[in-house]
Amino acid sequence: MSVRESTIAELRAKGIEVRPLEKETYEVFVGPQHPGSGHMRFILRLDGDIIVEADPDIGYVHRTMEKLSEGREWIKVTPLIERTTIIDACNITLPYINAVEKLMDKMPSPKASYLRVLLCEMNRIASHLYGFGIFGVFLGHSTAYMWGFGDREVFVELAEILTGTRLTYTYHIPGGVRRDMPQDFPDMVRRAVRYMRKRAPEYEKIFLYNPVIVSRLKDVGVMSKNRAAELGVVGPTLRGSGIRYDVRYNEPYEVYDELEFEVPVFEEGDALARTWVRIEEIKQSLNIIEQAIDWLEKHKSEPAIPKEDYEKLPKLHKDVYASEGRVKLLPAHISMKIPPGKAVARVEAARGEIFYYVESDGGTMPYRVRVVTPSARNVIVFKHVLPGHKFMDLPTIYGTIDYFAPEADR
Amino acid sequence: MIGTLLEIIAYPALWQVLIIGLVGSLVTAVVAIWFERKAAARVQRRIGPYWASPRLGGFINIIADMIRYVTQEVIIPRTVDRWPYLLAPVSALVISIMPVAFVAMTPIERYWPVASMEYSVLFALAFSTVPPLLAVVAGWASNNKFAIIGSLRESYVITAYELIAVISILSVSATVFSFNIVEIVEAQSPLKWFIFLNPLAFLAAYLAVLMSTSAFPFEIPESEHEVVAGPYTEYSGILYAINMGGGYIRRFIYSLLLALAFLGGWAPYTPPADAGPVLGVIVPSLIVAAKALFLVLTMSFLRAVYGRYRLDQALDSAWRLVLPISLLGLGWGIVLGLFL
Repeated sequence: MSVRESTIAELRAKGIEVRPLEKETYEVFVGPQHPGSGHMRFILRLDGDIIVEADPDIGYVHRTMEKLSEGREWIKVTPLIERTTIIDACNITLPYINAVEKLMDKMPSPKASYLRVLLCEMNRIASHLYGFGIFGVFLGHSTAYMWGFGDREVFVELAEILTGTRLTYTYHIPGGVRRDMPQDFPDMVRRAVRYMRKRAPEYEKIFLYNPVIVSRLKDVGVMSKNRAAELGVVGPTLRGSGIRYDVRYNEPYEVYDELEFEVPVFEEGDALARTWVRIEEIKQSLNIIEQAIDWLEKHKSEPAIPKEDYEKLPKLHKDVYASEGRVKLLPAHISMKIPPGKAVARVEAARGEIFYYVESDGGTMPYRVRVVTPSARNVIVFKHVLPGHKFMDLPTIYGTIDYFAPEADR
Repeated sequence: MIGTLLEIIAYPALWQVLIIGLVGSLVTAVVAIWFERKAAARVQRRIGPYWASPRLGGFINIIADMIRYVTQEVIIPRTVDRWPYLLAPVSALVISIMPVAFVAMTPIERYWPVASMEYSVLFALAFSTVPPLLAVVAGWASNNKFAIIGSLRESYVITAYELIAVISILSVSATVFSFNIVEIVEAQSPLKWFIFLNPLAFLAAYLAVLMSTSAFPFEIPESEHEVVAGPYTEYSGILYAINMGGGYIRRFIYSLLLALAFLGGWAPYTPPADAGPVLGVIVPSLIVAAKALFLVLTMSFLRAVYGRYRLDQALDSAWRLVLPISLLGLGWGIVLGLFL
């Protein structure tokens, strides 16, 4: 037994976890200050150019969202948790509000539901375009980057017109939404939809049919159906591996059961398939947006909060709503008490399923808020799919998982 | 007075090496970077550099960038191998300009930088292959993991493109039966350019230049999202600028060779044997430089269209696709030489 082995045995006897460094491998720390890593670190062991072991080292942007939620009033939790996925803020706050509504036994008004769906789908498109842009520049394709970020602006600005802010909407309130849409909003949305319909094939032409990009993506980061189910991945990553699971379709929330859309599924399970899923999802989201805006145009006069709540509002608040379309909250909302109980809710965000467990002890603040985000579930892919690939495949796989570190760390 | 001054300017060591070689390649670097940013911006539906000088399309912006690089503090990490670290980029810059000193840009013997043009193509090619080795040295001396991976990639890419570059440029010599650059250019006059007669060799040479100077889609040794800045990760300030500009400079020097070997050199203009410095050397060499600049700009445009290949895919395409193309080009060059 050599000194090395005896030392290892000694440390192990003390109960210390020891992972002996392979002499022949080259250890590379990618991140957290690295142009291709995001807010995380990969500890890679390379044998030549091949990754033999990958260790995603997460937690660099952990902000104790769950614990902080326990220290603020129910309504103040929304602006906090939407910081976890700032590019997908509508989708990440929706299940929280859904869970709170379940506890309060309150149904959102149909108009509020449609407005939520509208904003969520716009957010999904913006988020996919963001991920697409980052992915493009990872592969050195600056045009995809600029196009993605440029066209994302269309939907970010629409959201600004609807909610008043570009990213952190805080749009949902229990039973409704904070603002009604402006008069000319349907036309703007239709124009944006027409524009994006025209652009989607151009993205395919410059990126997905580009021979260089296809050779980078094809048969890289392959996850079979079984593997994907075993790792428990969600979202486009799962649907790129041929499993038809989409919360909007399997367990419809809000008004998704009244809308017509398809769930794009690709069987190949490689990076190319995952990218295609995103592009096809953008097209489906455009369909949903059109249906939602058609419905909203027919029901312009309905209030964006439940009728019984609206009746209770004082005259000043009703006037503000009538003139500005803004729901002025009563002071009682701040110190609102939620009946004790436990509730769960889940929605399909851009990166996959978001799951919330909310518990109330009857007080003015949540007793427990548990968030499971898609990035937190997908990060396992790096550990199991990266080994065996070349070092240059790291950005490809990282980009197609569309990993968003603040979302995973919370 | 003015005649004397022109004679001094046209003195080969000054005109060809310093003005066309050094200043020309620096100007090309600036123009190419500006064009790259502007053209990419056009494709990407944005404006690109603009506010520094709206009338010039933001051209001053690039100059400001250069000033920043020059005046920035140079940080030399304590862990590097000091002398190789410092010497590699500087000598790479000097050596990458050397090929210009071995080729003629005019048929008039008086203005040649070296006395004989007999083996000029061979000398120029030999010198053009040295700078990438210094990139490997720079990476190795940096003592940084990303730099070492970057320089390893560089060395892989060298093995792939070097043969292609040499074979495809020498296929022109096979046609003319000479390594003399003046004879090669004169054989093309006025419009029998080898780009038309032997397009395969030109294509292979073009791809080899892209690979050698890590232009897209072969920007592999420096690919930012894997290896930060490749061999140049530990460099800062002017040393970094030399390294990064080095790619453009070498692209320009290669393009000068390509312009002479494939694009007819100073054709369609032919200087008369008794011409003075302006018509004798300045005009023809500016024609060559303009052709080279055009080649550089076409290479720059590719950034807007392509991503980067994976290392093994680039090597694969080099050995399996481009090398056969260059061999075909060589074969066709010999056939041309025998029957033309």
